[in-house]
Amino acid sequence: MTNDQLRHPSAGDHLPVDAPIRGSAPKETPLFELRNIQKRYGSFVALKDMDFYINRNEVIGLLGDNGAGKSTLVKMISGINPPTSGEIYVNGKRTEFRRRSDSEAAGIETIYQDIALVDSMSITRNIFMGREIVNKWGFMDHQKMEETAADILGSAVQISGIDDPRKEVGFLSGGQKQAVAIARAVHFKRNILLLDEPTSALSVRETEHLLGYVRNLKQEGTSSVLVTHNLYHAYMVCDRFVVMSHGTKVFEAEKKDTTIEELTDHVIRT
Amino acid sequence: MSGYQSDHIKKAISERNNRSLWKKMADWTRDRPEGGIAVMFIVAQVVCVIAALAMPDQFRYLSQPNIAVFFKAMAPLGIMALGVGTLMIAGEYDLSVGMLFSFLSIVCATLTNDWGGDIGAENASAIVPFVALLIVLVLGALIGSAHAFITLRFSIPSFITTLGAMLFWRSATLFYHGAVALRYKPSEPFFSMFGGVFLDLFSSSIIWLAIMSVLFYFLLHHHRLGNHFYAVGGNKNAAIAIGIDPARTKTIAFAIAGTMAAFSGVLAATRVGSIQPGGGAGMELQAIAASVIGGAALTGGRGSILGIVLGTALVFTIQDVLLLIRAPAYYFDGFVGLLIVLAVIMNTAVRRSKA
Repeated sequence: MTNDQLRHPSAGDHLPVDAPIRGSAPKETPLFELRNIQKRYGSFVALKDMDFYINRNEVIGLLGDNGAGKSTLVKMISGINPPTSGEIYVNGKRTEFRRRSDSEAAGIETIYQDIALVDSMSITRNIFMGREIVNKWGFMDHQKMEETAADILGSAVQISGIDDPRKEVGFLSGGQKQAVAIARAVHFKRNILLLDEPTSALSVRETEHLLGYVRNLKQEGTSSVLVTHNLYHAYMVCDRFVVMSHGTKVFEAEKKDTTIEELTDHVIRT
Repeated sequence: MSGYQSDHIKKAISERNNRSLWKKMADWTRDRPEGGIAVMFIVAQVVCVIAALAMPDQFRYLSQPNIAVFFKAMAPLGIMALGVGTLMIAGEYDLSVGMLFSFLSIVCATLTNDWGGDIGAENASAIVPFVALLIVLVLGALIGSAHAFITLRFSIPSFITTLGAMLFWRSATLFYHGAVALRYKPSEPFFSMFGGVFLDLFSSSIIWLAIMSVLFYFLLHHHRLGNHFYAVGGNKNAAIAIGIDPARTKTIAFAIAGTMAAFSGVLAATRVGSIQPGGGAGMELQAIAASVIGGAALTGGRGSILGIVLGTALVFTIQDVLLLIRAPAYYFDGFVGLLIVLAVIMNTAVRRSKA
């Protein structure tokens, strides 16, 4: 079967299925590593035999069709969805990831697909939610938070139309909400930034800006995991690709060893 | 990345901070639910005062006894509403506070009387009433935490948990004490501190409401914990994703509601001097009504302390006016009902016009 047929199969074509590729082993101690992860919800297996690692200074593209388990994996790395079994290593050290504070300690920030903002709260309060700037009695420093929020909003993504950090998030457009979520994650990230479909509500210009920003982060030493449906975006910025299907890894390759055609085949065929 | 992109945001902030006082107030009344209710409250007061000045003999709104009674009557519901409103902001209900109001004030009175804290007892103890109050405040917190545990452990709506609890504590009250009234005349200085009147105008209870309102204001609007109440009430999943524990946060809110129910029960009992076992029936709905009138959302995540206090005050203004014009008692529910619906229509209209 030719590559062209693989890319544009007609209904009657029998598509060859490769044996799953378990992928490469990390060459040095990775920043973060999942080994042999299973996740079950009752009898439903969401993740099985999943190995995944994030190196230093690396942008990973996590690809796959709907229901492949990408968001489950992202939530696991964020600490809010602990695995049923398997091992998690941070800097080579075995770690439990049972709640958000575990991943926060590892320097991981996430931009969630479903945004994770509170509509009834202001932009500033959303940015600092759970990480309020407080004095020793726990009272908040509103002025400092607002000033920082203004800086964050101006620097992370250039967002059209946000001019007041005191505005309620419920009054923002989808793209503006996403921008707030991005700004928050970018401000607090230390080692790893997870981006789960971050560009779905952004304009073309904002998307380009964000992808460029992810590249810059790599220069500054922050690794990223980009979850996306858009293979062209992934191919533009990522160093390594992991393709998932039905809760497991089916393909893994570094950018130099693969092509966008090959990635597309693996996403649509499996 | 350079900071120059924030310039337009900083400009907007400084423009906002430099608005004239008049513009600030106009924006506040337009944009905030408690702002709208504040306007309503002021209009109601102005109308009442003009009416009272025009007809001082028929409408004794400004007479000293009327003002004193207004302050006394308002405090217990106001204090209960602070707890109930906080819990609503955290996204949960407590329908049992009215029954806890009765049950815990009876427990407090029984302990006080049994341990010699009654003002008529020989060598009445000055300490006992305080100890009894402390015990029921802790009991209120524990009972609230129990409601929280059941609600969160079994993931059932708190409306159901506390509906059951309301019936349960009503039975418990009758089981513990029976249906007869109970004398509660605590010794000094407790009585003056919680049931006294200053300058023939201000009852101790309204001062307690003022103190509690300030404490709740700082807790809810300026403390980290208050911010977490808004977060878990507004979007529980977002709170989890960002590392706030909703179970812990909501349990604290339930405990606060229980404690405030106990405190308001003891305050009301001190003022009256006796306790009717059914006295708290219906107060839970009035407290929810006061919070809703003040801008609290039934879905959680919205509301303010000023709104709760103004909502309570507005409810009691209606009651007061109806009493003064000698309207039948059943008028009260009708007017409060109209006010609730009107307030929510107003708040919803504000949201819609901004969206």
